[in-house]
Amino acid sequence: MSVLRMRCHCVKFIRRFSVLPEYTEKPEYPPILDLSRDAVKKRNDEVWHNKIKNLEILEEKLMEVNMPRYYGWPCIGLYEGKVPYGSLQFAQYITRTFIVTQQELPMLYQAAGIVDLCAPILDHVKNSIKEAIVLEHAVERSPSGELEDNGDDVNELGDAIVHQINRVIISSLSADFPHLQTCQVDHFPRIESFWIVGGIDPPKRLEKIRKTSNNGDLGKPVDVKFQYLGRPIAQLRHELPLQPAAIESEIQKIESNVPEFHYDPRVLGIDKLQRHVTNIPGFWPGDKSEFPLMSFHSSKYLANRSSFDDSEAAPYVHAVLASFAWLQALACYKGFSTFQDVTYPLLTQTVLTDGQYWSFYVYQLNTMLLHSSHATENQKCNLCWGTKKLKLFDKIENGKVVGFNEEVLKILLYFYLNVPHVRSGVELKPYLGVNNRYIADIPEKDKRVWLEKHFKHMYSNRPRKLLADELYHWEKIYKVDHKTRPQEPRRRPFELGQVPLERRYDDHTPAYVRKSERTVKWKKFEKTYYP
Amino acid sequence: MSTRWYPIYKRGSPQLRVFLPNFWLKLIRPVHKQPPNVVQFVVSVEMTKHDVKNYLEKIYNVPVVQVFTRIVSGETRQDPGKGYVVKDDDYKLAYVTLPQGKTFEFPELYPKEEESEQDKTQKELKKHFKNFVDRNKDRPGAPGWFSF
Repeated sequence: MSVLRMRCHCVKFIRRFSVLPEYTEKPEYPPILDLSRDAVKKRNDEVWHNKIKNLEILEEKLMEVNMPRYYGWPCIGLYEGKVPYGSLQFAQYITRTFIVTQQELPMLYQAAGIVDLCAPILDHVKNSIKEAIVLEHAVERSPSGELEDNGDDVNELGDAIVHQINRVIISSLSADFPHLQTCQVDHFPRIESFWIVGGIDPPKRLEKIRKTSNNGDLGKPVDVKFQYLGRPIAQLRHELPLQPAAIESEIQKIESNVPEFHYDPRVLGIDKLQRHVTNIPGFWPGDKSEFPLMSFHSSKYLANRSSFDDSEAAPYVHAVLASFAWLQALACYKGFSTFQDVTYPLLTQTVLTDGQYWSFYVYQLNTMLLHSSHATENQKCNLCWGTKKLKLFDKIENGKVVGFNEEVLKILLYFYLNVPHVRSGVELKPYLGVNNRYIADIPEKDKRVWLEKHFKHMYSNRPRKLLADELYHWEKIYKVDHKTRPQEPRRRPFELGQVPLERRYDDHTPAYVRKSERTVKWKKFEKTYYP
Repeated sequence: MSTRWYPIYKRGSPQLRVFLPNFWLKLIRPVHKQPPNVVQFVVSVEMTKHDVKNYLEKIYNVPVVQVFTRIVSGETRQDPGKGYVVKDDDYKLAYVTLPQGKTFEFPELYPKEEESEQDKTQKELKKHFKNFVDRNKDRPGAPGWFSF
């Protein structure tokens, strides 16, 4: 009776205070939602993706991806200079890259008239570069500084030659080409990039769980997270973007046939990581030069994998992953993410070298939407053009360069002479705020300081002071697999139905504020500003 | 890899002997989906990656590009009467990568025979009887037809 009376009271109360009229001309029904497991999950994911999209501050966007996990996400670690055997298909699938040609660079350089510009400059630069190469060979180095194969991935001499050539070209051309004067050069920058790829075969352990829960999702492909960690020799960036090598109508003409690779990446011998996922293109948010010009990568490791017979494919794997990862991280700094696709193409030029052998690549990022069903449904693809391995010089004899190949230097000059332009008619940062784009723009001091501190801490990827509770081997045997200790009190997380690795990032007590520092006397803990 | 002694030569005995290694490799069907050029073996825990590579290359003349190995913990089971836990021995799995272009598919060793009509009906009957028994398990004494 009392329930009925309460309900009557509630109805009266709502009627009295509700602003909207109770009856409408047409009946207004709530939308009928698909309540199947997949549909609910998809809707929840969409809510989260939209939250990331609508956040105005860039650092908050980057932080939000990590918010669901206190101990970080499990992801596949891709390291620069570690190319697994036979992984070209894999690299193409996870970056959705179509390799247009393995012989030459796109027509972009002929069309822009760069090829004609090159000839007079070449003679001007050539001798200085020869001198620089001879000079670097004269410097006494540790055994790892030699060009020959010594089983070491470190290539001091090659790196030094790249820095010298870069220095010579920029200093001699910047007077005539102002974009080289205003570009930024980073030496050994920190490149980290994170993206999600769908369409991967489910692991056996997951299939076992699915079989018992019987939700009808047996054999359904899963998403895999990838974290790229790279350290190029040098990179050049500018305030303006490079012109795309292929416009949309041309892309459609290119018969893109991206190979598929649905195996778990661990079949290639790549390990899993547990870390806070990061997107860093070599600088912190707020830097003005945030469009790519070119990057130099060390190819010394190729000499150390001579037991493999994929010497032609391996540089492509390296170039495709390095170019995609850098462009992806740069796109993230413009407000896009692995959940929100880029709205305009980005172009970069990549050079792989050990000092003597050089190969050149041009990479155009058209899409980075690869998660869940997008892996197969996305019609767009990224494009890569490349050259073969070319020899810059034969050897150094009596303080002179022998067999200097001008053609190699010419291609390198094409890259430097590719002038970035203003991209008109495109909003470059559609998902960032108009006035509030970075933490530095936040007017409230407390929030600004707090967010800056916590963003940098998250991106430092320091391990937690208290590691997550694990399931010890003896517990697995005597408590989980065989219930031999029924009398013991249940206190461990797995006995209480808790999953420590699924703890949320903000699931902790905020920092304590000392009494003398409190503004409000009874507020013991500091205010948090998680996105 | 062989631990056998080379016996002292006696007149008349063969002078050249070949001792095969003490170890064996067992080719198994891949547990997880693997690319077509990856073959999976169960090997002795004592064997290293180099041993596996040499074994396949020298004895069977199989080209090997790389080998990944991992040790798998043996399964545990409980004694049905006494209740103590027994653990099987650990074993090592070797994932051998062949050069690109070479493939290996695990053969169907025991092809499935087609079921006869009689077996099918027998199976169906058994299934229905089991359902009937399960349904009446918790209500002893009630007649079999006492149900919706």
